[in-house]
Amino acid sequence: MNCHDFEKLALALARNSLLDATERDQGLIHTEVCNRCAARLAQERALLARLRAVAVEMAGEEPPARVDALLLAAFRAQTAATASSVVITAQGRAGRWSSWKFAAVAAGILILISAIAIIWKSTGSRMPQREERAVAPTPVNTPGPQAEPPVGRDQVVDERQKNLPKRILRHASVKSQDEAEVVTQFFPLREGEDLTTLDSLQVVRVELPGSALGEVGLPFDPETAPESVKADVVLGQDGLARAIRFVR
Amino acid sequence: MTKPMVPSDAELLRSMLAGDERAFTSLYGRYKGLVYRFALLMSGQGSIAEEVTQEVFLALLRNGRRYDPGRASLKAYLCGAARNQVLLLMKKERPYVQLVEESDEGREAPVAQLISGDDPLGDCARNEANRLVRQAVLALPARYREVIVLCDFQELSYAEAALALDCPVGTVNSRLHRGHALLSKKLRAAGLDSAPDAQVMRCFA
Repeated sequence: MNCHDFEKLALALARNSLLDATERDQGLIHTEVCNRCAARLAQERALLARLRAVAVEMAGEEPPARVDALLLAAFRAQTAATASSVVITAQGRAGRWSSWKFAAVAAGILILISAIAIIWKSTGSRMPQREERAVAPTPVNTPGPQAEPPVGRDQVVDERQKNLPKRILRHASVKSQDEAEVVTQFFPLREGEDLTTLDSLQVVRVELPGSALGEVGLPFDPETAPESVKADVVLGQDGLARAIRFVR
Repeated sequence: MTKPMVPSDAELLRSMLAGDERAFTSLYGRYKGLVYRFALLMSGQGSIAEEVTQEVFLALLRNGRRYDPGRASLKAYLCGAARNQVLLLMKKERPYVQLVEESDEGREAPVAQLISGDDPLGDCARNEANRLVRQAVLALPARYREVIVLCDFQELSYAEAALALDCPVGTVNSRLHRGHALLSKKLRAAGLDSAPDAQVMRCFA
């Protein structure tokens, strides 16, 4: 072993951390014949002894009690927060479910009210026609001599039905096949509005008074008018009713 | 009589993260001194050491799940975290570093330091020597100081120090060599090291 090789081992020898016994022995033998390397090893050992003396002196130095207390408080707070977040998550799921149901019911009620309001709003302007149709009821798609408005409306309805998004029509037809329901065409509730321009539409099943049939030009029996009829209402993204069809 | 089983660091950490306060206090008690002393030796300031200790353990509480026992010992992991915190804080504090070397007079002395042995003069000399050593360590560039603190004061292996410093083992070795050489020079300048200067001696081996 020469001095260059010894220098690579000097620290490990001084620390007694050299695992290879052969290397250690060679290094120690080298120090017996080389004063410089012996001094080098002694210097390293002296330095380590000084550093370890400082380490021993510092062994008792620890963070003050306030740091201990602060960290313990942080641990407790975190544990409590984690526990409460678990509870909140569990409650949140239940809460979300109940609020979802609540929202659905509330939306249904709002839609019903909206549809009724729209229908009642248009009642005043169309009252004479309704009276005529009530006297001489005209079947759907079977315009009679007194039923010019319904014919025109049917044409509008046909056009609007063409314009309805396919998603709604497919949904309606599947539903009608599945449940063997008889459905009318969709009647627009807002004049001059192109439904295809709307981003998203929803169909909602509601129950309306029988008189609502007359509002769109369909025949109805005034005696059974208070009875409710099923209807599918098309809602825009803003929640307003855009079209309606009746279901039997 | 069988010794009671001492839980491993990984077990304590798992329990701590599951909310076991006893595991937290055990783990904290095991390593708070290591982290605090590392920060103290690196910065020379008790306030920074306190803050580092606080931040390191708060980070362990928050991100303890990120620790991979297969990659490094918890000791090395905490030392690495402490090192990052120290460097960060010292960078922040740099504009306010005192021009005069910090005196220990203003600090509260630990009880152990107040108790004198049979040789008061010797105790005084040792304390002074230790103070000079600490000052010399503090005067080293950070890259040498950190390897000396980790390997010589905290007695981490080169491999553990390499993990804590996120560098190869060879780098730790070479920095330690260089750091020792610089430290020896400073101590000699302070009149502390009585070992002969190896540079002036000739080797014919």
